[in-house]
Amino acid sequence: MQEYSSQAAYDRGEAVCVIGAGASGLIAVKNLRENGFEVDCYERDTVLGGLWNPQNQHSPLYPNTHLVTSRSQTEIPDFPMPDDWPDYPSASQMLTYLTAYAKHFGLSEHIWYGSEISAIEPVEGSRFEVVVKPAAGNAARRLRYAAVIVATGHHWSPNLPSYPGLDQFRGSVLHSSQLKDPSRLRGKHVLVIGGGNSGADIACEAAVNAASCVHSVRRGSWHLPKYLGGEPADYALARLGSRPKFLRRFLTDRLLKGPASLAARMGVAAEGRPSAEEPVRNGRYMEHVGDGSIQRRGEVARFDGFDVSFADGAEMRPDLVVLATGYRPKFTSVEPRLLGIEGDSPYPKLYARMFSPRMETLAVAGLVEPGVGVLPIVHWQTHAIAHWLLVRKSDPERAANFRVQVRSESEQDTARPAGSSPRHQLAVDAEVYLASLGRIIDTLEQEPAK
Amino acid sequence: MSLAAWVRRARTPAPAPVKREYAFFEPADLFDLDIKDDPEASPVLCCTGDPAGASAFNALWLKRIATSGRYAAAVSVRGQGNTPAAEGGLEARAHDLVQAAVNVPRQAVLIGHKEGAAWAALAAGRYPAAALVLVSPEKVPKQPPTPVGGPPVLIVVAESETQSKEAQTAADAYGITPLTFAGSRDDVFKGAGAEGLLDAILSWLASKKD
Ligand SMILES: Cc1cc2nc3c(=O)[nH]c(=O)nc-3n(C[C@H](O)[C@H](O)[C@H](O)COP(=O)(O)OP(=O)(O)OC[C@H]3O[C@@H](n4cnc5c(N)ncnc54)[C@H](O)[C@@H]3O)c2cc1C
Ligand SMILES: NC(=O)c1ccc[n+]([C@@H]2O[C@H](COP(=O)([O-])OP(=O)(O)OC[C@H]3O[C@@H](n4cnc5c(N)ncnc54)[C@H](OP(=O)(O)O)[C@@H]3O)[C@@H](O)[C@H]2O)c1
Repeated sequence: MQEYSSQAAYDRGEAVCVIGAGASGLIAVKNLRENGFEVDCYERDTVLGGLWNPQNQHSPLYPNTHLVTSRSQTEIPDFPMPDDWPDYPSASQMLTYLTAYAKHFGLSEHIWYGSEISAIEPVEGSRFEVVVKPAAGNAARRLRYAAVIVATGHHWSPNLPSYPGLDQFRGSVLHSSQLKDPSRLRGKHVLVIGGGNSGADIACEAAVNAASCVHSVRRGSWHLPKYLGGEPADYALARLGSRPKFLRRFLTDRLLKGPASLAARMGVAAEGRPSAEEPVRNGRYMEHVGDGSIQRRGEVARFDGFDVSFADGAEMRPDLVVLATGYRPKFTSVEPRLLGIEGDSPYPKLYARMFSPRMETLAVAGLVEPGVGVLPIVHWQTHAIAHWLLVRKSDPERAANFRVQVRSESEQDTARPAGSSPRHQLAVDAEVYLASLGRIIDTLEQEPAK
Repeated sequence: MSLAAWVRRARTPAPAPVKREYAFFEPADLFDLDIKDDPEASPVLCCTGDPAGASAFNALWLKRIATSGRYAAAVSVRGQGNTPAAEGGLEARAHDLVQAAVNVPRQAVLIGHKEGAAWAALAAGRYPAAALVLVSPEKVPKQPPTPVGGPPVLIVVAESETQSKEAQTAADAYGITPLTFAGSRDDVFKGAGAEGLLDAILSWLASKKD
């Protein structure tokens, strides 16, 4: 490409802009190109792979991060991981995999690194003007695209809790995403706050590396081991999905009976039946609770000098507090209104979890927490988005019918909240969501009626 | 591959992994200054139903493909050549081929000979091959999966085979007319017939810009 002045926008014609070169952005670029689109992908960091790349400035990886979903349920459907890899690959294998994917499909030549998108502005009806934040000393660049896909991830802006006295606390406080060096745990009395996957993983690291580990959670959660019935747990459970409904419930209960009674014994279980809420998937956690190397506590009430008090009145004096309290979605490049964000909630309201309710040519990839592997879902999302952009151009009548369908799919979806905490706004029941994606793709791929 | 087909596969036990024999030849291996790796040309991955597996392509194919500026590779699926036998039928062999394909540095053309054509046809249903070439196809299902990513497809058969049922099935399945080559379908690895066949495939690939 050539140089652009800051005034005149360079018109990229029918090309599509993808924002972000994490897993979601890469899959979007590949599927758009496969469907004949020209694509420019902008990545604010200098590396690809998003959160799986420890060199990404916003990477949330902590020591010894491994996948919690198994290989066969995590790999991209048309680009399997090597079958001699372990069931649960490491973060660095994930990066190797995404790098190989980008190389295999020649994606890098379409990625502009060090290019943060600071704004996208609707112009000329359905097109977008995209503003690339200037690198030091240069003018901002403006380019026009036929469509934009936002793939900026939602695990990079920490959700930080507030407690009385936290500001004056005399020990160290880190968010889970800042714990890069495992030696920071060594010999310390560690308090981990937050009962998601990050909290459980880090508590296990502290259990073997730190002097002591207290794990504070404000409620129970659904715990799964990494294996069930001799198979990776997510695979074993997904397989039951193809059984008839009445059998499925029975078989699921049977498979989960052991882990459920163990969770009850350890006092970590959530109330009620396992829901679509994302489970904590960790095979080691219960062992550590069982041998006392992780001590469970309830909610923290306040910090006071060197001390922490819990809601039940207990106290401790941690050297290091790790806030594994998750992330908040943050969109820096898109006007919230375009994503259906209203009021104080940071959570978008999209059609079918991917299409902007305002602009037909704006979509988001990867903004779901399906409780199972995310990459396959993003593959089908971007497959649908690419086909939608084709249909929109070639067959306006079908496109209009399709919008109606997508809207009604979305209404069914919001009728069924998939979790109880605010963070569960992004949670979907994978089975239900995949079925909905399947219907969407079927409509888009039907031969146009002649 | 449809979403439903993927869901089904992701919930079916994967074939046991095997250590696969993999042969490859890069343009640089020719030590010929006139031959350059063509970054625009897709690599080629071959397989054959012949029990020799990958090594069958050593005599002529790999070098000649590399001469055209392409990375050339061949794989032995389970039970062939130096790849140990393991359970599984057509599906498992197609899995072996897909596993080899993702190992090729860039999006690959799949060439399958005899029963290898059936593996390639199945593999192309779940891996977006740059192109799909079926040589003297055998055992290709009547309704093979739609190749993902819509690659160009070529079927090549020996003159003697044009009326054979196997060749007809494959041609009907993809709705294309096979190209014919002089010689016998068992003579594709060396000799004048083999060279003619290979040149026909390579010029077809070049014409498709793959
Ligand atoms: C610790 C951890 C473990 C996980 N483990 C699993 C697992 O086991 N299995 C699983 O399926 N999922 C897992 N996930 C979920 C994970 O989010 C997905 O697997 C996937 O990596 C998400 O990719 P993404 O591309 O959507 O987001 P990201 O990887 O965050 O990529 C977003 C990219 O966009 C770039 N970007 C952001 N804003 C801009 C801008 N304005 N302009 C330009 N570029 C921008 C960022 O730099 C980044 O490179 C895990 C998540 C975390 C945090
Ligand atoms: N190894 C892996 O593959 C891996 C590892 C880590 C994370 N992940 C993924 O990354 C995503 C983020 O995971 P995460 O564990 O970092 O975050 P998370 O799943 O959002 O969990 C955050 C935890 O912190 C608690 N919390 C939030 N605010 C709190 C507050 N103010 N006070 C007390 N507790 C509070 C939450 O409790 P409530 O439930 O009550 O809200 C929850 O237990 C998830 O999709 C997860 O699966 C994967």
